[in-house]
Amino acid sequence: MGRYLLRRLNLFLATSLALVTVLFITTSYFPVSKPFALSGIATPTTEQLAQIEADYQLNGNQLQQFIAYAQTRLSGDLGLSVTSQRPVLEELTQALPASFELAIVSGIIAVLFGVPLGVLASLSKNKITQHSIMAITLTGYSIPVFWLGLTLSLWFGVELGWLPVSGRINLLYEIEPVSGFMLIDTLLSDSAYRISAFKDAVFHIILPAITLAVLPFTVVVRITRAAMLNIMELPFIKAAEARGLHTGTIVLRHALPNALIPVLKNMGLMLGTFASYAMIVEVIFSRQGVGSWLVAGIYQRDYTVIQGGVLGVALIIIFFSILIEVLHNAYNPLSRKEIYAAN
Amino acid sequence: MPRIRIYQEDHIPSPMQKVWQAFADNPFALMGLWAVCCLLTLAIFGPWIAPFSPEQQDPSALLLPPSWDASGTVEHFLGTDDLGRDIFSRLLHGAHLTFGMALAIVLASLLVGFVIGSISGMMKGLKSSILSHLLDALLSIPSLLLAILVVAVMGPGLDNVFWAVGIALTPQFVRAIHQAVHEELQKDYVTAARLDGANSIQVFWYVIMPNVWETVIIQTTLAISAAILDIAALGFLNLGAQAPSPEWGAMVSQGLDSLLTAPWTVTIPGVAILCSVLAINLVGDGLRSALSPIRN
Repeated sequence: MGRYLLRRLNLFLATSLALVTVLFITTSYFPVSKPFALSGIATPTTEQLAQIEADYQLNGNQLQQFIAYAQTRLSGDLGLSVTSQRPVLEELTQALPASFELAIVSGIIAVLFGVPLGVLASLSKNKITQHSIMAITLTGYSIPVFWLGLTLSLWFGVELGWLPVSGRINLLYEIEPVSGFMLIDTLLSDSAYRISAFKDAVFHIILPAITLAVLPFTVVVRITRAAMLNIMELPFIKAAEARGLHTGTIVLRHALPNALIPVLKNMGLMLGTFASYAMIVEVIFSRQGVGSWLVAGIYQRDYTVIQGGVLGVALIIIFFSILIEVLHNAYNPLSRKEIYAAN
Repeated sequence: MPRIRIYQEDHIPSPMQKVWQAFADNPFALMGLWAVCCLLTLAIFGPWIAPFSPEQQDPSALLLPPSWDASGTVEHFLGTDDLGRDIFSRLLHGAHLTFGMALAIVLASLLVGFVIGSISGMMKGLKSSILSHLLDALLSIPSLLLAILVVAVMGPGLDNVFWAVGIALTPQFVRAIHQAVHEELQKDYVTAARLDGANSIQVFWYVIMPNVWETVIIQTTLAISAAILDIAALGFLNLGAQAPSPEWGAMVSQGLDSLLTAPWTVTIPGVAILCSVLAINLVGDGLRSALSPIRN
């Protein structure tokens, strides 16, 4: 296992290096002057220009420039945002918690509803139930997320007026950011209206979270169903049935833990698409977050924000997908056989 | 009338026929296939069928509702948008932008992915793991991020969508083909062929490939639906097809201004995207279940 972890760590480092290389090459193709694209200062003074040239080794050869670039970026200096002239790292760390909040809530919704529905679909002998569940998941898998978001906000936000359609919280509430998670911050704040602020934050997250949850939900249902169908045929389930165990016990204790392994694996594979969808959802519901920040950055041609945002988001996603793979292997001894056999 | 069997020996269907029969037994998959065929026809002949040109503005018919509405007319079957452009014609003109573009992207990335995947699948050790694992991690980078980088360098436009979505899709092909080839390579019948004196290229093409085509086909259908959704999403965010273009995602974003007064300008292109992706997924699902007895 130690050797395996080392290899995954290597993979993470190699991929990060590849990512920085790609960004370095892309930066040199940005249609602006290099000091501007790197630092985000539009009209630098002579001292600033000298500082930038020293930081990024602009007078050296490509290799020296690359090393200097990697050093500054990985040490956390992402330059200044072109539009706001604030450090990009600061903006990124402010935007990240909001995105994580949305992703976590919709992930929970997807698993909470997806797993039981998948189990139901696999156990049901009724053709109509099976077909309708599969039809729903296939539709959910094919629906364009931006259109779904617009339609939901049109129905529930505008026509019925049940839920707010933009932002994270009503502007009337003044909440000090502590953790950056609005749901936690409202509870932590010591004002008299914190319960109503919390309710408001919950109302604000419902529509975006449901929109974003549709894709992982359908994937979870389909994978759970397929895995359950496979597992219920295996000898150890037959043995459990022969011992006279209750069907509920068999499903919950013997079959479901095994069925969740492929679900975990597919979640790792889905991470990139999920992140794309999360960014689109943030734009539609105009929630603060990395997605809306990055998309605003590209509209304004904010080159430092684009570099910093792409680097940050991609690193986080690569990290989590490798983490999920490691968890999958730790949780599933069968896959370790492949690892050792592959050597 | 049941066929009368006189002889013991019956016609034995070839593997292709078996797959087709299994596929045709599933009515939903067949429906999807018909829909995909219709889409293909529309993507090729759409501009000739369309009653209006995509940019033709009719100032006397602004925001006309679809024809089934009381105030709609049959001339503008699916209504008009805020500039008086016929939505039906725009959908037909956009079919080859969205659907045809998706096909082109998938073909290109399939070609690249096939070459890299089969080379890395046939190799062993460090070289193989460098090729496959690096791309594995690239797989997890969202296509939207790639698109943002491409747009930052080249500016928005439909051509750049080709690069962004293509780069995002290629690792999926590499991964799928690499794994399939790698798995087949471990099996005994490959060793047998090697002992018979087949060289690597012969082993690859005549021994392994016939068993990998299924994976390629399934991955292709998955990729087409992903590509359509990606193209439309980029069009919606104004990073892909630009404003007057009748690309379906761009149509949704152009309808956004009149969403509250004329929801059909957003709903109809959205439904078009949904239906085409659904049709492809139905075909893909049908193919997967038709091929699964052979694969296992």
